[in-house]
Amino acid sequence: MLAEIGLVAVFLAFLSSLYAIGASLYGERFARSEAVVLSGRNAVFVTFTLMTIAILALQTALMSQQYQIAYVWSVSSPDMPDFFRFTALWGSQAGSLLFWSFLMSAFAAAAVLLNWRSHRRIMPYAIVYMMTTLAFFVALVLLFENPFNRWWIIPTNPVDQQVVQAGLTPAGGVAPAAQDLAASAQGLNPLLRHFGMAIHPPMLYLGFVSFVIPFAFAMGALASGDLSTNWIKATRRWALVAWLFLSLGLLLGGRWAYDVLGWGGYWGWDPVENAAFLPWLVGTAFLHSVMIQEKRGMFKVWNMFLVIGSFSAVIFGTFATRSGLVDSVHSFARSDIGFPMFFFWAGITIVSVWLILWRRSRGELRDEHSNNSLLSRESLFMLNNFVFVALFVAIFWGSFGAPIVSELVMNTNITLGTDYFMRVTPPLFAALYILMGIAPLAAWGKTSLTRLGRSVVIPIILTIVSLVFFMVGGLSTPGGLIAYGIVLFAGWVALYETYRGIVARRQAHQEGVLQSLTALFNRNPRRYGGYLIHFGITIIGIGVIGSTLFQQETQRTLAVGESLNIGGYTLRYDSLDNGQIAEDGRSMDIANLTVIRDGKELAHLRPRRDFFPQTDGMNTMTIAGSYSTVENDFYVILVDWEPVQQNAATFKVYINPLINLVWWGGLILIIGTLLAAWPREVLPARIRQEVRGFVPRTA
Amino acid sequence: MIKHARVLALIAVTILVVMSWNVSAQDQPTTTVTDDDVNAIAHELYCPVCENITLDVCGTAACADWRDEIRMQLEAGRTKEQITDDFVQRFGDRVVGTPQDSVLRALSLVTPWVIIAAVLVLVGSMVMGSQRRRNKPLAAVQPPDDRSIDRYQKLLEEDLEG
Amino acid sequence: MNEESVVNQPLPMHGDEAVQSSTPRSSRLGLGSIMLLMGIVAVAVVFGLALARQNKSQPTAGSAPDFSLTTFEGQTFKLSDLEGKVVVINFWASWCGPCRDEAPELQSAWESYQDRGDVVFIGIAYADNGPKSVAYLKEFGVTYLNGPDLGTRISEDYNIQGVPETFVIDRQGNVSQFIYAGVTKQRLSAIIDQLL
Repeated sequence: MLAEIGLVAVFLAFLSSLYAIGASLYGERFARSEAVVLSGRNAVFVTFTLMTIAILALQTALMSQQYQIAYVWSVSSPDMPDFFRFTALWGSQAGSLLFWSFLMSAFAAAAVLLNWRSHRRIMPYAIVYMMTTLAFFVALVLLFENPFNRWWIIPTNPVDQQVVQAGLTPAGGVAPAAQDLAASAQGLNPLLRHFGMAIHPPMLYLGFVSFVIPFAFAMGALASGDLSTNWIKATRRWALVAWLFLSLGLLLGGRWAYDVLGWGGYWGWDPVENAAFLPWLVGTAFLHSVMIQEKRGMFKVWNMFLVIGSFSAVIFGTFATRSGLVDSVHSFARSDIGFPMFFFWAGITIVSVWLILWRRSRGELRDEHSNNSLLSRESLFMLNNFVFVALFVAIFWGSFGAPIVSELVMNTNITLGTDYFMRVTPPLFAALYILMGIAPLAAWGKTSLTRLGRSVVIPIILTIVSLVFFMVGGLSTPGGLIAYGIVLFAGWVALYETYRGIVARRQAHQEGVLQSLTALFNRNPRRYGGYLIHFGITIIGIGVIGSTLFQQETQRTLAVGESLNIGGYTLRYDSLDNGQIAEDGRSMDIANLTVIRDGKELAHLRPRRDFFPQTDGMNTMTIAGSYSTVENDFYVILVDWEPVQQNAATFKVYINPLINLVWWGGLILIIGTLLAAWPREVLPARIRQEVRGFVPRTA
Repeated sequence: MIKHARVLALIAVTILVVMSWNVSAQDQPTTTVTDDDVNAIAHELYCPVCENITLDVCGTAACADWRDEIRMQLEAGRTKEQITDDFVQRFGDRVVGTPQDSVLRALSLVTPWVIIAAVLVLVGSMVMGSQRRRNKPLAAVQPPDDRSIDRYQKLLEEDLEG
Repeated sequence: MNEESVVNQPLPMHGDEAVQSSTPRSSRLGLGSIMLLMGIVAVAVVFGLALARQNKSQPTAGSAPDFSLTTFEGQTFKLSDLEGKVVVINFWASWCGPCRDEAPELQSAWESYQDRGDVVFIGIAYADNGPKSVAYLKEFGVTYLNGPDLGTRISEDYNIQGVPETFVIDRQGNVSQFIYAGVTKQRLSAIIDQLL
């Protein structure tokens, strides 16, 4: 029953999204009929409702263990706890595609609800683009990756073709016995049985999916010809929302890798990780350059490219990770959706770029001002954008370009790894941090070198002072000092500028420190939210430098009672609990360890190796044990233990200095983004009411 | 049996050859190779059959075998470079983070900068092109005197309004 | 979302054509624009080709990709040298479990043909050529030709997805059969006998 409900709902959602496209386009462009346009708008809400029904049907099927549904059968099993049943919704290709489509329909509905009045003229076109994208993904769900397919037995078929998967009951098909299905159910991929997997994919999908809104607004503006700064206002806030989710998704993904993958790191420069990072880079560039367009009416064409580039990167990333284009640890199993996704990506990119160029050639995207000086905030932002694009190019090339070109042209299979990325990206990241420090100090229009020089003095002094602290703390390598210096400077500028704002306000309004800080954030949330984000990025940078440049590691085989020393810590191997069986059937071998420093027992760690006997393929999982302090993480992996001689085991120990700053910086970044993006009451309620009462209508 | 004896002999010869290459570099007798020595090399090498996982952290039996091989080669006195070259020769350039083959290496490391330069030229020319057709340059914002807090305050307020 | 933009909205709305009516327009794209579009199309074509190639599967017919193999004993030969003979190519690795099930079957099949002279068995060690491979061959007493796939070039030409995989090539040098896994002496003999 659930399968039928789900299938019908998805099918109707597909029809309804097609209707939304047709009605919006026809009503706005040809018939000029308000009624038709409105019915197209309402179809967006209907689509969302239908997608909600579909997702609820699948979720209910998962929770109530309907193993006849092939998707449920492939990602869950009777011994799994309910929590993982819930997250199994996005545990594999078909379910995650449906989930992705559902989220996209939700964003489309939200955008229509919130922006219909304020952007009446571009909305019908925006609906066309949002719903086209949605219809495409829903079609993929229906045609290639249907999560509502069920198992059937057709007794009349030849022996090896009796068991089939089909969405509708095939002729002569009978449902297999429930207990056979339950007994053979596969269970969720072990690597995904982790709390991080509960939030990381939804956040990443939210980030990916929400880029469709800025994209649709940009395309709506291009298509409707309403190229005033209007569209950019709607776009930049949605872009900030998308950016927030994408940042969260990336951070949580890093945390998940750190906790579960057991290699002592959080970023492996894997193509799939990079595929998620690429839209983030373009999106970040856009969030900066959009300010120039708002303030000065410049960079119009460029901003269009960035909006479209970020969405194109999202679709490319989805395509690359879901089609088996590149090999990666994270990718989904190879699937038939490769070519449809490829054509969608190529089509949408080429059409969008062509639209921009067409409007540009008609002179409709002409900048209102020109750049006066090379030393202005505009120029520095332009430089910042260029560095973001350069990073994009370097990472794109390393993840996708080089492997594909070398295979096509030279018939050689290569994969570029950490080594390549650590050669190419650090100078670019350094340039970004330097610009992050200088650009906020430069004035719009023009600034003089002396003035700029004067304003960097205090942040530079603060940076030098903090570097002295780092040196006292034991940092001595010149590379480390330079790296920290660059990163710290950017952070000090953010803090110092906020401080100057507070001082200025206090003088003018006789306010308290907290009061004036709140006032600043209220008056210009984007600027001060932005400074907070910069500060968060600085903290992340400190963590990344510490854990990359100064990581220590060792691997030793210890007998019970023996210890090893590393970085001032002592690790003692106390005992092994092997073959512990957990609730979901996994068998765990757990080592009991004690971390000692200066003769004091700091912590007992239990790193373990889980073995999943029922699972094919990747069936072991290494869960690290770690002891966290501000200074570092003491991170232990149980590499192996001797099955014959139970009193010795091999451990790998990492000391990851300052790694926790990565997570804390991430938290600051999220808070800053929330402050910047939070909707605020700008006008008194009475005036707002009046404004709301006014419905602009074209044509 | 004769065939296998030949194989063993071949291995012995290989090791001898390898060691004789090495004589100039490493005169000291081979010491015990630690896990850390193995990992230091394994960390730079990618598992040839599983994607994007370095050999030091890869958990499969095949990777354990390759780690053993690194250990054996280290015990035979080979250097990191020799071991890396050997792996590349056997499994191809995908086992290293940046290819060793000079053409592939150049392709990998130089191309991004070429593309970046091309982007710079393209964007630059588009910006310049649109600048020439520009109507009016905007007057620069009054350069304020930063030392005066009043001026800063005024500027800040202006900025906040904007 | 976007509450304040309500106010910032310029209230009078223009029709499509009214907005930029004052600016002169030519709808022809400039050279740079055309180059940009062509560049994007080129990138898309490259990725499309790569995807097509990625989706290629093991050859099941047509002429078998030629290769040159140096055996563990140091003997070098090319596949094309063996024309006129039926060739069985088996990709294996010492670290692969199912290969161990196949090894005795392959060896005993080979033993039943080795005296004929017109059947050749070739074992290709995929991502595996150290002492472990030699030990593996010794363990199963394998006596047919075996060599490492240096740089995994042969495996790429045959688009193998994993090991073990087996190809049978007829006297004309065409792929006659591809066996994904689970080779048995019986199955192999049936295929070979058909080709002889």
